[in-house]
Amino acid sequence: MTVEWFWPEGFYTLVMVGVFALASFAFRQPIAVALAIAAIVGALISGNGVPVDHLIEGAFGYLDTILIIVCAMIFMKTVQHIGLMESAAAWMIRRFRVLPFRLTMGITALLMLPGMITGSSSAAVLTAGAIVTPTLLRLGVPPVKAAAAIALAAIYGMTAPPINIPAMIIGGGIDMPYVGFGIPLLICTVPLAIFTGMLLVYPSLKQSAAIGPGGEDKELEVELDRMARVRLTPRLMLPFLVLVVLLGGERLFPQIAPSLGMPLAFLLAAASGLLTGQKWNPMEAATEAVQAALPVAGILVGVGMFIQIMTLTGVRGFFVVSALALPAWLLYVGIATSLPLFGAVSAYGSATVLGVPFLLALLGRDEIVVGSALSLIAGLGDLMPPTALAGLFAAQVVGVKNYFKVLKVCLLPAVVTAAWGILIIIGADWF
Amino acid sequence: MFEKRYLASRFSATLLLLGAVAVAAISAHSYLRMHHPGPDVDRVVPREGFVHKRLSDYFQGLQDTPADTDVYVQEGEQPGGTLLVLGGTHANEPAGVVAAVVLLENADVKRGRLIIAPYANLMARTHTFPQDAHPQTFGFETSGGVRRTFRYGARTTNPVNEWPNPDIYIHPASGQTMAGVERSNLNRAHPGVADGGMTEQLAYGFMQLIKQEDVDLAIDLHEASPEYPVVDALVAHERAMELAAMVTMELEFEGIPIRLEPSPKNLRGLSHREWGDQTDVLAILMETCNASAGRFRGRTGEALVLTGEDKAYDKAAELGRLYVPWESWDKRIAERVGRHVTSVKLLAENLEFVRDDAGIVIEGLPAYTSLSEEGVGAYLRD
Repeated sequence: MTVEWFWPEGFYTLVMVGVFALASFAFRQPIAVALAIAAIVGALISGNGVPVDHLIEGAFGYLDTILIIVCAMIFMKTVQHIGLMESAAAWMIRRFRVLPFRLTMGITALLMLPGMITGSSSAAVLTAGAIVTPTLLRLGVPPVKAAAAIALAAIYGMTAPPINIPAMIIGGGIDMPYVGFGIPLLICTVPLAIFTGMLLVYPSLKQSAAIGPGGEDKELEVELDRMARVRLTPRLMLPFLVLVVLLGGERLFPQIAPSLGMPLAFLLAAASGLLTGQKWNPMEAATEAVQAALPVAGILVGVGMFIQIMTLTGVRGFFVVSALALPAWLLYVGIATSLPLFGAVSAYGSATVLGVPFLLALLGRDEIVVGSALSLIAGLGDLMPPTALAGLFAAQVVGVKNYFKVLKVCLLPAVVTAAWGILIIIGADWF
Repeated sequence: MFEKRYLASRFSATLLLLGAVAVAAISAHSYLRMHHPGPDVDRVVPREGFVHKRLSDYFQGLQDTPADTDVYVQEGEQPGGTLLVLGGTHANEPAGVVAAVVLLENADVKRGRLIIAPYANLMARTHTFPQDAHPQTFGFETSGGVRRTFRYGARTTNPVNEWPNPDIYIHPASGQTMAGVERSNLNRAHPGVADGGMTEQLAYGFMQLIKQEDVDLAIDLHEASPEYPVVDALVAHERAMELAAMVTMELEFEGIPIRLEPSPKNLRGLSHREWGDQTDVLAILMETCNASAGRFRGRTGEALVLTGEDKAYDKAAELGRLYVPWESWDKRIAERVGRHVTSVKLLAENLEFVRDDAGIVIEGLPAYTSLSEEGVGAYLRD
């Protein structure tokens, strides 16, 4: 890298990243605030003053995404409040406890489901993760492994179809519609979800199954009875059915189904929870949902500001073209390392800032397959401190205080995930 | 009464709220300037002979809507063909807009008719895209020392006029599925729908104009990013291909390298495809090279819009990532406007060779070299 190329954009990059790290670590500011401070300092040192209009414009970059996350969280809290999630989990454990492989796969699918619907790993961890945790622990899965399994399954859920926000962001960068991603995203995620489940969950469940259904684990039976206090009936499943009809109808029959948009679809599905005959407090559910969604929404606002100032100052161009300048073999290493590392800001930010240029660098291969694989690798950013949305929430839910213990367990599956993503990129045209 | 320990948080919360109100007021003032930019911004001074109309004269459904836009018509003394020129289909492609204004302020039609809509999608001129960091305006100084300022907008209609977009957009005429955002893109909305979304209604208005004015040749002026394959190019509907080929050769003779691309038959909603398919018009879209809208661009601002100089693109060119001969190429807006103006002039002149009695003669237009050497300001009126 020459001095002419580095100066001044490389310097601005270092300052912005440095200020972010300082504000975040040394001054213990929330990630969103640290990002905003870094953006303001970046604008100041590049001679742009404090460009309020640019900062606010950037902050609105993820408005639609934020609306989706908040509304999806309201839906998930509703499903939690009416007892559907616990009831479904209890049914699954009772039905498959003696079949540890199926139970492992069932729990993994359950963990992935909220992420698949909402496109948010945090949503998956905070809903399905929270509900499955006691069962996993009761069935003998060590807490650190349980947290890692929840975090990774949530990330695979976030990446799996039908909703994958990083893939939408990456595709949008080259005017590629989010159409035809279903199969590639399943190929990206399903093998990894099976591998991770088998690695982290299956051994403990197998041991537990050896005790048998009529075994002496009375505490588990009490726990399952508590979880299944609400009967799993079609009426109880109404919110899910409404959501499937509204989202699925729009995608499968776009000519006749109304286009409500995801936020409204989630809200209507949540409202149908009032018809399930269960006693629950909608205000309480909505308040919990907004509280849970606010940190993520804040981070997206901060990321939006940060990227706007990166663009204004030329840092984005510097970053993008520097990444493109990597030799071919190093390009793959760059993708496998820089995408997750940049995810320290957020997986979405990583998808925007690096995912798009990497896709441009790989133009000529099947863009949908490459975009899918890049979104998978970008998703790993949700394990990366300081934000580590999926990882930190998972550790919190399971009760592990030191997140780095969880991160250590995540390391092997994360490396396998990155390698699988790179393999898919290399073989993109074989699909 | 509140406990003492809550006072600090109430105080800081009040301060933060006041701060938020102040920031909202400052940014709102800035964004409202895009909606009400003042009389000097986007001002045009049409050459004598142009008659001012509105698109709603052709489709009344647009009247009193934000989609209605100015249309100018000049008729020569001799009868001939009719040429329609659209600028500003995408408001973030400045050379297309400015070329239409240069045509409007300089064209002296001797034969046939010239119709110009310089700001085709006004709803795209009232906002810029988040994270693109584009300037709100750019400008030129005229020979008389007057600053002429134009808005730099966005590719699509402002969400204020059309929100939210669906997840998937179904092109009404063909049933083709596209990303939801394309519903707000005028160049995916043709031939339009009379009772559709605002952008679809706008497209419908232009289709009515083409039909009612019996347009022979319709040209849509655009710009593209240097990393995209269709740059410095004419894109022609198959019935316009002969005319476009003739002009391509003439442009090459004049030292203006240009590509000729056929209009893809399976990509629907684009002007050159739908105008050509639905009417008798010869439909052509033109692209010049605009670094300020590119993904690889470096420092973003008015300077980049006007000069096209960018070290990030210099580096990308070294890496072989571009579709234009970047190092030897003039990137200034004057050159890009010159390409558009010269191409329009040549297409008009050659029209009679492919369509009987449809000749169009336009005088007073600046030559490519004159625009390139003297700059755009020299050909804008005070």
